[in-house]
Amino acid sequence: MSAMIEVQVTDVRQLTPVVREFSFRAIDGTLPGFSCGSHVQVILPTEGRTLRNAYSLLGDPRDSGVYRIAVRLQETSRGGSRYLHEQVRVGDRLQIGAPSNLFALHSQARHHILVAGGIGITPFMAYLADLQASDVATPGASFELHYAYRSGLTDAYASELRERLGERFHGYDAAAGQRLDCASLFAGKPLGSHLYVCGPQRLLDELKTLAEAQGWSAGRLHWEAFAAPEPGQPFTVELARSGQRLQVPGDHSLLEALEAAGVEVPNLCRGGVCGQCTTRYLSGEVEHRDHFLDELQRGEALMPCVSRGGCSGTLLLDL
Amino acid sequence: MTASSAEPMFSTPRYATEVSRHTASRRIVVAQQASLATRLLHHPAPTLLLCLGETLPGSVEQESLPSSEALYLRLQMLLEQAQAGTRVYVCGDESFLWHVHRLARQAGLLGDEIELFKQGARRRLYCVHCGHFQDIGSEGECTCGQCRVKLFVREHFSQRLGAYMGVCIDPDSPYAPEVRS
Repeated sequence: MSAMIEVQVTDVRQLTPVVREFSFRAIDGTLPGFSCGSHVQVILPTEGRTLRNAYSLLGDPRDSGVYRIAVRLQETSRGGSRYLHEQVRVGDRLQIGAPSNLFALHSQARHHILVAGGIGITPFMAYLADLQASDVATPGASFELHYAYRSGLTDAYASELRERLGERFHGYDAAAGQRLDCASLFAGKPLGSHLYVCGPQRLLDELKTLAEAQGWSAGRLHWEAFAAPEPGQPFTVELARSGQRLQVPGDHSLLEALEAAGVEVPNLCRGGVCGQCTTRYLSGEVEHRDHFLDELQRGEALMPCVSRGGCSGTLLLDL
Repeated sequence: MTASSAEPMFSTPRYATEVSRHTASRRIVVAQQASLATRLLHHPAPTLLLCLGETLPGSVEQESLPSSEALYLRLQMLLEQAQAGTRVYVCGDESFLWHVHRLARQAGLLGDEIELFKQGARRRLYCVHCGHFQDIGSEGECTCGQCRVKLFVREHFSQRLGAYMGVCIDPDSPYAPEVRS
């Protein structure tokens, strides 16, 4: 696990009734530079347990003096977004991880199609800073943004972006009955097109299906879907090397239970997509919930950030 | 893990033997010789055959070009107008395959949207000493046509250059004897 960075909250802005933006600066020294599409883990000492939630950095990558994240208050929150919304004030100190990027711009693309659903706009804020800068990340490439939101609720950056992007901005306001027609995104796009999507799983699934039907190879579709691990049934895990036995409560992920017991597992996205936390298991029933491992790999490994053991019997990990 | 010498190097290209089942909104088949491309044409999506020399009988949409240069130019023009969802199938010798591959990549196709079907033994060699390209057959040694260094043909293949690497075979006596005719 790379070292944590101590930051101070320098600004808090309420953008919509459910979206709050936070700015951080380093307490000592400077913050590390980052590329657009990067995220950081924010350590949230909520009551009862410490959560580590991943948030996209939405500021301009040219200005790493300050990190900005935007957080949507989740109705079914495990407490992380609620903590940020209700507890964190200007001047407070937090710990964050170093930035890492699982959602970079494709360097050879000629045309970028950005598709955001609700709070999924955040990584694209940094993309757009890059795409609109004079020293563009991919010289000569064009882009378009499609942003589906509900006005007065999840339209955090809609008016700012409409103004900045002009005709490259395409907004779809669910409150006004406007719907993003996903199929239209693929029509007549030039050969060098790449599509990036950040938003709810069903949006991603629909775009994946359409892309495949259009003959777009998987390499043209880039996606990021951060979701907190869904709760499940409590289960028991045993660590083969140390002999430790742990009880994983229903509202904790296996990764969190391991961390609480002092077992560090390398991890990045904490949402079942990056593969970083992949851990071997030796026996036991597994409920795989990741989007990374294939069937063959699932026979001997699991991703503890989202996947769980079965409630009958013990899951034996190679740790 | 160590590779045994019998295994090809990781960079040695592997060629398709059958057309993949990937969907495509349009297919462009590029062939050095039309008759060798017939097995690539039995697909439902709209297909254009671009070839050298004689055309194929039948209803397939095709264009025949008089030279490789003309064919490369025509392909570039077609790809400029093409849309994402297009796949390219190339059939010919290794030099031809990788030239077309490079044009297709430059036009924005991804590597897995290009399928290569190899015919014949001609391949390209890149002299790492002077940067000269030349076509060779299956021989393992040759002389660089530009700097006259005697070259060992390495198995290592550069996709970017579309060529195998030729390296000096004997540093103590690098040059081939002058042949005067």
